[in-house]
Amino acid sequence: MAATSLSTPRLGSSLSSPAFQTLRNCKFPITFLSFSHYTKHLTSRNFSHSTSSPHPCRRLTTAIRAESTNGAEPPRHYDFDLFTIGAGSGGVRASRFASNFGAKVAVCELPFATISSDSTGGVGGTCVLRGCVPKKLLVYASKFSHEFEESGGFGWTYEAEPKHDWSTLIANKNAELQRLTGIYKNILKNAGVTLIEGRGKIVDPHTVDVNGKLYSAKNILISVGGRPFIPDIPGSEYAIDSDAALDLPSKPKKIAIVGGGYIAVEFAGIFNGLKSDVHVFIRQKKVLRGFDEEVRDFVGEQMSLRGIEFHTEEMPQAIIKSSDGLLSLKTNKGTVDGFSHVMFATGRKPNTKVDEYSQSSVPSIWAVGDVTDRINLTPVALMEGGALAKTLFANEPTKPDYSAVPAAVFSQPPIGQVGLTEEQAIEEFGDIDVYTSNFRPLKATLSGLPDRVFMKLIVCAKTNKVLGLHMCGDDSPEIVQGFAVAVKAGLTKADFDATVGIHPTAAEELVTMRSPTCKVRSTPSEIRFTVHNVKYLLILLDQGMNSQIKMTWSKKIHANSLFSGLPNHRQQQISHYFPLFLSLYEIPNLDKLLSFPLFSSSDPPPYHRDSRRAHQRRRGGATTTLTSSPLVLVAEALELLSSPPILGPKSPFASCLLILFPPTPLPALARMF
Amino acid sequence: MARKMLIDGELDKPIEEETHYDFDLFVIGAGSGGVRASRFSAQYGAKVGICELPFHPISSEVIGGVGGTCVIRGCVPKKILVYGASFGPELEDARNYGWELNEKIDFNWKKLLHKKTEEIVRLNGIYKRLLSNAGVKLFEGEGRVVGPNEVELIQLDGTKISYSAKHILIATGSRAQRPAIPGQELAITSDEALSLEELPKRAVILGGGYIAVEFASIWRGMGATVDLFYRKELPLRGFDDEMRAVVARNLEGRGINLHPGTTLTELVKTEDGIKVRTDHGEEIVADVVLFATGRAPNTKRLNLESVGVELDRTGALKVDDYSRTNIPSIWAIGDVTNRMNLTPVALMEGTCFAKTVFGGQPTAPDYGHIPCAVFCIPSLSVVGLSEEQALENANGDVLVFTSTFNPMKNTVSGRQEKSIMKLVVDAETDKVLGASMCGPDAPEIMQGIAIALKCGATKAQFDSTVGIHPSAAEEFVTMRSVTRRIPARKPKTSL
Repeated sequence: MAATSLSTPRLGSSLSSPAFQTLRNCKFPITFLSFSHYTKHLTSRNFSHSTSSPHPCRRLTTAIRAESTNGAEPPRHYDFDLFTIGAGSGGVRASRFASNFGAKVAVCELPFATISSDSTGGVGGTCVLRGCVPKKLLVYASKFSHEFEESGGFGWTYEAEPKHDWSTLIANKNAELQRLTGIYKNILKNAGVTLIEGRGKIVDPHTVDVNGKLYSAKNILISVGGRPFIPDIPGSEYAIDSDAALDLPSKPKKIAIVGGGYIAVEFAGIFNGLKSDVHVFIRQKKVLRGFDEEVRDFVGEQMSLRGIEFHTEEMPQAIIKSSDGLLSLKTNKGTVDGFSHVMFATGRKPNTKVDEYSQSSVPSIWAVGDVTDRINLTPVALMEGGALAKTLFANEPTKPDYSAVPAAVFSQPPIGQVGLTEEQAIEEFGDIDVYTSNFRPLKATLSGLPDRVFMKLIVCAKTNKVLGLHMCGDDSPEIVQGFAVAVKAGLTKADFDATVGIHPTAAEELVTMRSPTCKVRSTPSEIRFTVHNVKYLLILLDQGMNSQIKMTWSKKIHANSLFSGLPNHRQQQISHYFPLFLSLYEIPNLDKLLSFPLFSSSDPPPYHRDSRRAHQRRRGGATTTLTSSPLVLVAEALELLSSPPILGPKSPFASCLLILFPPTPLPALARMF
Repeated sequence: MARKMLIDGELDKPIEEETHYDFDLFVIGAGSGGVRASRFSAQYGAKVGICELPFHPISSEVIGGVGGTCVIRGCVPKKILVYGASFGPELEDARNYGWELNEKIDFNWKKLLHKKTEEIVRLNGIYKRLLSNAGVKLFEGEGRVVGPNEVELIQLDGTKISYSAKHILIATGSRAQRPAIPGQELAITSDEALSLEELPKRAVILGGGYIAVEFASIWRGMGATVDLFYRKELPLRGFDDEMRAVVARNLEGRGINLHPGTTLTELVKTEDGIKVRTDHGEEIVADVVLFATGRAPNTKRLNLESVGVELDRTGALKVDDYSRTNIPSIWAIGDVTNRMNLTPVALMEGTCFAKTVFGGQPTAPDYGHIPCAVFCIPSLSVVGLSEEQALENANGDVLVFTSTFNPMKNTVSGRQEKSIMKLVVDAETDKVLGASMCGPDAPEIMQGIAIALKCGATKAQFDSTVGIHPSAAEEFVTMRSVTRRIPARKPKTSL
């Protein structure tokens, strides 16, 4: 196992001087490589190709090792150039690439098991064994029930209702995982990486202990990932985590899922599709904190329509096992009984017990992937692993680029997104235009199911760059990937518009969004824009500014007339806010080009008469005491309007342009129009 | 009634020169292109009239319908049938995922047909509403050109009315063609195929284009025996050869009988069905024979010769970059011009026409990097150049990146069908010249890729994009090693 190194450097004879220059500049010199290893790579690599490669030093690392230590220390002998602890996505990628760059690499990993623990893991890691892959296989399985329902609208009938056999699915899933872990082992072997089974522990900055055997390494990479975390509440021993949920012996009849993150919504979709009774308990009002607010609303609605019951703002306090073996979940709001399973999807914790050194304080120890808790996604770990290998072994210090990293949630319907959320975009850029589309896809018009698709583009008003793209609906993850290339490349809305659609697809909607749903502006000034297919213009301003708008071309309509179908108390609530804070304008000539000036407060105020009167009446009448800021009140008013039947797709607001002053993250409002 | 146009580019002219016309624009044909052009022109302030033949799913000289081919006899009903047909193979895939399905699963064609008709009737209504909301006056009847500024409308009762228009736009589309072989009247075209009374048990399809392979997939997915005959070695001429081969293999893999290099010579009616004879002397009996052998522009009954509008050899209207015919007041867009016969292209041409004529911004449609899709099962989608086109156009070496993989869904379902993706890259500039994919969701995946290509994205930009895991689409941003490097055809001269 121990490497035999060449004792004398072979400089001069094999190196031309420019190459030598490059090598001397190597920030991370590689010291010892075994001769046998070196030759193996010489033969396996295609040299004619590598002459044009951007890594001029990689095939030469062996030769310069003694030179690059600058004589400060005597060169030390190490068993490996890189020792990686943990053979998941990030660890495998870093090890393979490092080996391809000429380094001698070992990786250690725990023995294979579908459920992880302190003593089990498996080559492939979370993604392959307990994450992305098995999850997606279960998503595929569970989606079929929705397809059976859809197929009815397309003329298919079943003599007997399709039934699902859990054990067939789990057996076929596990067979696939076994195959994949084998493939990953082969990938390592083919790359010349030494795989050691066992638990790795760091002994000192250059030594790793695996099951009692010591290995020395120039660099140590920690890529041990993360594990699900179950909070310590009474009865938490009855709860399962996502590892267990992917490999249950039988299908849950009724399951409580605690958590509102992506794991929770994905499993909710899986079990719901496989016909379990699913209850989701979330701490907040909505699922998927951190995602775009409108997407959060939309996916919650769609999941509810498919039969998932959400218990919002409920925190679990205890799990109680009753005499019939069923579980009850006690929360701050009450107790729900009769669960066969209680699953916690309450977050994951890095597996850092192995590591007593932090990366920053020990220069020879590095870390990638979930264990660093940066962006915990497989492709990000791959990027980090690839970048690290380049940094260490290819003389190319490379920082992972975390901008515009796309991500998907395989909920049902799934979500795809790239770039900023509306809230982040407002914070960072202030002035943005928001384009949304909420439509019934062709498939749903035939199937008769209430499925819809939501899409959103966030565009920088100043540069026209697309800052963020969000979608929830069938095929979102597949659709968003190509758009991610466009967003990453910094393309503009005009570039999107110049692209011809692929007809008939859902994705073409993203290149045919002509008028913004919402414009957010930080300063009131003259705005000119074009309006297509817009019937009403709703302007939300703070109290002072409302009266300063001049709109000679349009007719202001009294809001109350729009809501005549509502119960009286709702009408009162609405009219309470409307004259003050909302101006609703009907645009008389549909589909015409419009532009209009908005005057800033320094301009002479060209009062709109109606608006002014309303304003004064409110003040004079003193029927209200304003305790919150105007915009909060507006939000409340709009929340009142948000429930059917006023603001459904058929409402007059369905084609309404909303302008917000000052910029305020009120995207939930925009959705309604 | 006559509205003043906001911008016409001619407002400065002395008023006495302005002749009075009934309309600023009269459009013949309310399909995708015609509806788009008339709506947008009206938005620019033009007074617009449009005429269209009465609605029916099957078109003829005197039958059409607002919405046109795409909505009534093309993209939309076709995609509905593709959805319907996709459930067949889906049900097979479900079994290994643990679903126990009764052997007796029934597909009711009549129900699907009924729902499809409902949907296109609904869309027909939506299109009519779009026109009226935009202030466009819709006339039902057949339109003919009788002068450079004069359209004659033959109404349903046979009466004729003439309207004068400053501009006339012809957007009458195209119709399926039949080859002249004995017994050709026994065959049907795609119009009828979308509205058949009964689902055929045995279908014969002649043609290798996208319509042929789509119907082959539709009928096969619904359980029919399908025999597909085409002249070339591979279907889908004009697409990337590697993709054509994959499509052929997949069609065969899904149970369609392919007959490359074969054409039909005669159809004979027998008691058992239609007897089909091939140029190889084979005989097959089928319930339905579909001719998918191309479409011809609808120009015959427009009376164009009376004003001297030029047509090309195929009968398509000849137009310039701005969609103008040789008669300055007569314009044409969409399939009737036989440029690129796709709905979104007709929409683009319609938009550009309105901008040019009524928006004061002369705009030529841009035919670069137009993505398109073939909804065979599994689907094909492409944007930019095929490998062959890239080689022809390239000055330097061309790099080809391909990825052939087993989609994750198939790992458990056991379906033996690979997806394939391809990027064609200019070695010198690193620009991605073309992208193609054959596999599930290809058309949805390709749309975003199309934006990147349209804007000249490089392979490095693809590589710097992080993947969405696990998806099929992520393969497009993780193709690290080049599959082949093809040297430039013309050797570079070195001095």
